Amino acid sequence: MNVLRVSKWTIAAFVLPCLLIYVGLVFVPILVSIYSGLLDWNGIGESKFIGLQNFHKLLFDDPVFWPSVRRTLMFAVFSMVEIPVALFVAILLNRFIKKPNFLVSSYFLPVILSVVIIGQLWKTIYNPAAMGGMLNQVLEAVHLDSWTRSWLTDPSVAMYALYFVALWQYLGYHTLIQFTGIQNIPADIYEAAKIDGADGLQADWYITLPMNIPIIKISIVLAFIGSLQAFDMIMVMTGGGPAHATDVISTHMYNMSFLSMKYGYGSAIAAFLVVLCLLATLIINLVFNRLEKKFT
Amino acid sequence: MSQAIQAATGNRAVRIGRKPFSLTRVIVIALLSVLFVTQLYPLLWLLIYSLKNNEEILSGRFFSLPASPQWVNFTNAIESGNYFKYLFNSLFVTSVTMIGVLLLSTLTSFAIGRFRWRYGQAVLVLFLVGMMVPMQATLLPLMIIFKNMGILNTHLSLILPYIAFQTPIAVFILSGFMKSIPHEIEESAVVDGAGIFRIFRSIILPISVPPMMTVCILTFINIWNEYILAATFISSERLKTLPFGVNSFVSQYSVNYGAIGAFLVLGALPVIIIYFLLADKITKGMVAGAVKG
Repeated sequence: MNVLRVSKWTIAAFVLPCLLIYVGLVFVPILVSIYSGLLDWNGIGESKFIGLQNFHKLLFDDPVFWPSVRRTLMFAVFSMVEIPVALFVAILLNRFIKKPNFLVSSYFLPVILSVVIIGQLWKTIYNPAAMGGMLNQVLEAVHLDSWTRSWLTDPSVAMYALYFVALWQYLGYHTLIQFTGIQNIPADIYEAAKIDGADGLQADWYITLPMNIPIIKISIVLAFIGSLQAFDMIMVMTGGGPAHATDVISTHMYNMSFLSMKYGYGSAIAAFLVVLCLLATLIINLVFNRLEKKFT
Repeated sequence: MSQAIQAATGNRAVRIGRKPFSLTRVIVIALLSVLFVTQLYPLLWLLIYSLKNNEEILSGRFFSLPASPQWVNFTNAIESGNYFKYLFNSLFVTSVTMIGVLLLSTLTSFAIGRFRWRYGQAVLVLFLVGMMVPMQATLLPLMIIFKNMGILNTHLSLILPYIAFQTPIAVFILSGFMKSIPHEIEESAVVDGAGIFRIFRSIILPISVPPMMTVCILTFINIWNEYILAATFISSERLKTLPFGVNSFVSQYSVNYGAIGAFLVLGALPVIIIYFLLADKITKGMVAGAVKG
């Protein structure tokens, strides 16, 4: 029960500054973007209203679009596969290491670095050996010369090289989240289970996993939404090239709007992306509400 | 939280005590060490790389240390790369954003958390929806809006959207905390005749310092590292923030490998120093942000 009964003007004074900036710079642009998706416009000259033509072209007549959607979804799948790994690492840390905090914060370090640093660092690592690239030099040192390649310019592996960097950077994040979740499970549950004869892996399967479901959900939402929005790392490392081999939805949008100057078309892609993000959040929440009901 | 950690530690001690030298434990420690190396070695490699000259980098001995550390790489990077200019710009943009976020989100959260009014929940939901909106979808319209306002290529064109995109999580964390403060606290203040603003400033704000720290940490990490908006809205050399500056330097000097490495190290340095000082606070803040997001 709130005790503060205040006038409308007071409420407005407290809420409006923040709300106006937020609505004006997040919601209005999104609405503008959806509207611009209906235009044939290069951003400078006259715009022409063309209805749903951009969306029609996007869905049925764009050779780059669906592959980029597939890469975006693959990105999401890979990031979610990482979560059980992170959970496993968190369980190990929690059970076998006396002072796990040092390891947890070391694993976490890549998370707080800028994508520019991470992207350029890995670009350097992926360079051809003759340009000082570490990965290829390592492969040569162990006589796997046939495996060496220029990882980011070979269309068949470039995308996987990018997935790997993202997984590398965010492993520490998910490990930290899962680790914190496990630490918040009351110890007496494990003790009770031990008396009943459940220990080790069994205890993890029947206690850690179900008790951690809300935390796993958080990781999944973060991983999924993060992958749908995956953007700046790819822009830094490949810009969507070579020959669209690493284009995801966002980079396709960026290249269309800022390089090809098709503002209307780019906006249509942006609108698609927004809808996809909102839908994904909704679906994940629904699925997990069911799961949580089932286990609690 | 600390109780939970203690409990978990006690729990672990029981298990370790039983089999001090088991094979499983050795394997687990080996596994976790491998992970330690894969997560940190690339950063160490970068540091060594940045101290080599071009010849050593290209020779193929990735493991070797430089014969003599090439500090000149760092002086080159600082002199020709405007490092301190970028650093200052980043500091400026990040701190103004932080102040803006704190100011605006505490006010709004106070209203959502403590006032009795009809639309409080609706406003909160509106902010929640914003957390799911991808920032890059607003790039294009924002650019057009800012161009028309004549503020494209100024720090304001970064600060405004940064504030807008950080407020949802800030409002969410702060309003949740403020709601949980017992109401007796301000009842007595009201009886004593304190006005709304005085209650906000002298009672609610001081109590809310811990979640405000969380908001500061999240804002700092996100904004300090932001690249795409900066690269899209800023074109003047003297206005670039650190990530953008690092990226343009690296793309420009593509054959001076050592200097590139040095600039990347310099670019990572501020965050790494802060992380060394505040690792605990930062990890806790990031978890709080993730859990509440």
